[in-house]
Amino acid sequence: MIKYILKRLILLIPLLFGITLFAFFLLNALPGDPVLGLVGERANPDVIEGIRKEIGMDKGFIRQYIGYLKLLSHGDFGRSYYTNREVLTDIAMKFPNTMRLAFASMFIAVPSGIVLGFISAYKRGRFIDRFINMVSIASLSIPVFWSAIIIMLFLSLKLKLFPPSGTGDIRFLALPAFVLSIPAMATLSRVTRTAVLDILKMPYINTARAKGLPLIKISFVHVLKNAIIPIITIIGLDFGSYLNGAVVTETIFGWDGIGRFTMDGIIKRDYPVIMGCIIFGTVVFVFVNLITDIIYHYLDPRIRLHEKSE
Amino acid sequence: MDRLFAHHLFCLLAVILFLFSCTSSDRLEGYIYYRLNTNPTTLDPALIVDVSSASIAAKLFNGLVRLNDRFEVSPDIAKRWEISRNGLRYKFFLKKGVRFSNGREVKAQDFKYSFERILELKTKSPNTWVFDKVEGAKEFQKGQAKEVKGFKVADDYTFEIKLRMPFSPFLSMLTMTPAYVIPKEEAEKWGNDFASHPSGTGPFTLKNWLTNRELVLEKNEDYFDKKARVRGIVYKIIPEDLTTITEFELGNIDVISLPGSAYSKFKNNKKWNKYIMSLKGLNTYYLGMNLSRPPFNNLNLRKAVFYAIDREKILETFYEGRGRLAAGPVPDLLRKWDVKAGVNYNPEISKEIIRREGLSGVKVNMYVTADQDVIDLAEIIQAYISEVGINVNIKQLEWSAYKDAVNKGEPDMFWLSWWADYPDPENFLFPLFHSSNIGPAGNRTRYINKEVDTLIERGQNSINENDRNNFYKMAEELIIQDMPWMPFWHRTDFLIKQPWIKDYKVYPIYTMDKGIEVAIER
Repeated sequence: MIKYILKRLILLIPLLFGITLFAFFLLNALPGDPVLGLVGERANPDVIEGIRKEIGMDKGFIRQYIGYLKLLSHGDFGRSYYTNREVLTDIAMKFPNTMRLAFASMFIAVPSGIVLGFISAYKRGRFIDRFINMVSIASLSIPVFWSAIIIMLFLSLKLKLFPPSGTGDIRFLALPAFVLSIPAMATLSRVTRTAVLDILKMPYINTARAKGLPLIKISFVHVLKNAIIPIITIIGLDFGSYLNGAVVTETIFGWDGIGRFTMDGIIKRDYPVIMGCIIFGTVVFVFVNLITDIIYHYLDPRIRLHEKSE
Repeated sequence: MDRLFAHHLFCLLAVILFLFSCTSSDRLEGYIYYRLNTNPTTLDPALIVDVSSASIAAKLFNGLVRLNDRFEVSPDIAKRWEISRNGLRYKFFLKKGVRFSNGREVKAQDFKYSFERILELKTKSPNTWVFDKVEGAKEFQKGQAKEVKGFKVADDYTFEIKLRMPFSPFLSMLTMTPAYVIPKEEAEKWGNDFASHPSGTGPFTLKNWLTNRELVLEKNEDYFDKKARVRGIVYKIIPEDLTTITEFELGNIDVISLPGSAYSKFKNNKKWNKYIMSLKGLNTYYLGMNLSRPPFNNLNLRKAVFYAIDREKILETFYEGRGRLAAGPVPDLLRKWDVKAGVNYNPEISKEIIRREGLSGVKVNMYVTADQDVIDLAEIIQAYISEVGINVNIKQLEWSAYKDAVNKGEPDMFWLSWWADYPDPENFLFPLFHSSNIGPAGNRTRYINKEVDTLIERGQNSINENDRNNFYKMAEELIIQDMPWMPFWHRTDFLIKQPWIKDYKVYPIYTMDKGIEVAIER
């Protein structure tokens, strides 16, 4: 297991190399000049040149990239062009907020999605199944910004139950977490339904039923255990993307997380921030995938990790 | 069973809502709440170029002079000043007992340090242009002199500035953010981080700054002038307009600028319309044309564009009357002269010009930013121009790419605005139309008229106000005739305040609001 984890971590190096190179190339290829955004309307050309020099934009693409890699090798993500703050410090400050949001939304989405999926599968073809399916499809089709606005207007403005924006305790967390959980809940419900239906067709389920085992035991011991792999996959993917920042949700609810930080960086063409967020996002995804694989291994010993790594 | 399930689900949701909900106000008592749509980039006066940062800096710092409600230059830290007859020497007499937030008294030497810091290339200030007409500024920047000859400390409370040549807007430029005084010891102690540890003389001090969340200012009890009536100011950083409006309606924010999309909603609401305030902005929105190459190097085609667009109708309908029709580039509030009425909408004349010039079907590229309001407006302009036979291809670009393209002269037409940094017509004429400013410095239409250059320069160098206005008037008239850009309107902004906010004043220039008049009464 340790050998497998080490292998995966070593693989992160070429992956990061490729991703930074690609992102760096894209940022350089984009039209526009980030320095112009920094200096306002009437800056002295010598000052503009000085800033270009300071941030290394006077050099060619290769030299800039090597310079950036050197910086990275010291664990330095550089400083924001605008605030002059260390990008890594900002990421470290914002990540806990994003993590809280991701955990909270998964806390809502996972149990409710799985329960709804089970109910839907057990009540296949009945009203409740059709209703859950309809709600799931609607939840997946409605854009997050729209549901966020509607929920905010209803729960904050009309019912005055939650603050509409800000970063803080559970009151501030509730709305963005709920909005973020909606598509995850819908996906999980649909995936669970399909997986459960597949399992329910298996002969061992009939055997268990014939033996007179209670439904709850059949569900947890036989069905859930065997249907869990696709569910874990969806949870892993969603969780990974939430940890990278849910841009729309964080922006609408003014939640101070990685998503808003990344968005700000993109709007302002703050290259160190954009690069820092890309690298951080890659690392997060790799780690989440690694943990997902480990969970696969423990839940289903037929999945051998060393085979996957080869 | 299904009904039972629905009932249980409803009960569960109700319990969750009850447990989690609680909207007790988190407001700090006695603090006024404003909204910023983006995090201020810096609070170092040397580096500030954005309005958010500048409006906060105005509450943390002071300069020698500031603007009063009538746009006149009035005393700030300088109690009075003298300007030599030839307009070259400015002598400022400082108030005694003005203290930085670290407790040290402000002396003339602090102004010398603060102003030289702007000019020093290592500071990388984008605002060097504010002081580049001071004697010895160029030599200092090139490293040929250790100090700026034109900044002289006569004694602790007397500071002199000598210019290379008379420059009439100089005094109003000293009301700007880069002319604020800062303490050397704090600037050197914090280095680059001075931007987030500002230390000034203003009516407020920085208490807390959580990036992307909020920024809290606290009343400075030792402020040398009239003290603030609120305990402090909280700037909530909220990117979304709709979220801001929700926060405002819940009473969590006290004053907001009304976004165009919400203007009608509040205007037609009896509860709210009496709390709407308007602000005539010192700005000009315009459609620029690239004069450096065909087709807009042809004056007649530019004239045809003027005749083709009904600005008045666009202003009244699309823009809901939120502005004043512009006669020329200089905003009406700054113009102290009359200008002849410009070209009025007449598509027949426009078509006739295009037919006569043989330009029917000419294709032009119009660049706009990816802002939805601007895109909508561009489509209206496109429709008008297409009607007279000019094909307009709209190209949307992200802001910095847009700015870069316009600076390089890539578009044939573009949509931009210019806002005053200081209340002088020169701020609209020199950067935008002087041939030395082609490209990034402001003259993006690449307009070259030597006569206009001379008139602007004569206005800048003139000490007599009447003469100055006369030169500016002549320059503006020539510009209107040459039509390098079609001025559309001067935007009027609308704000809305809570009923408990008293004496809130709106200012067209961000440095004018020191935050000392406003009060909370509930």
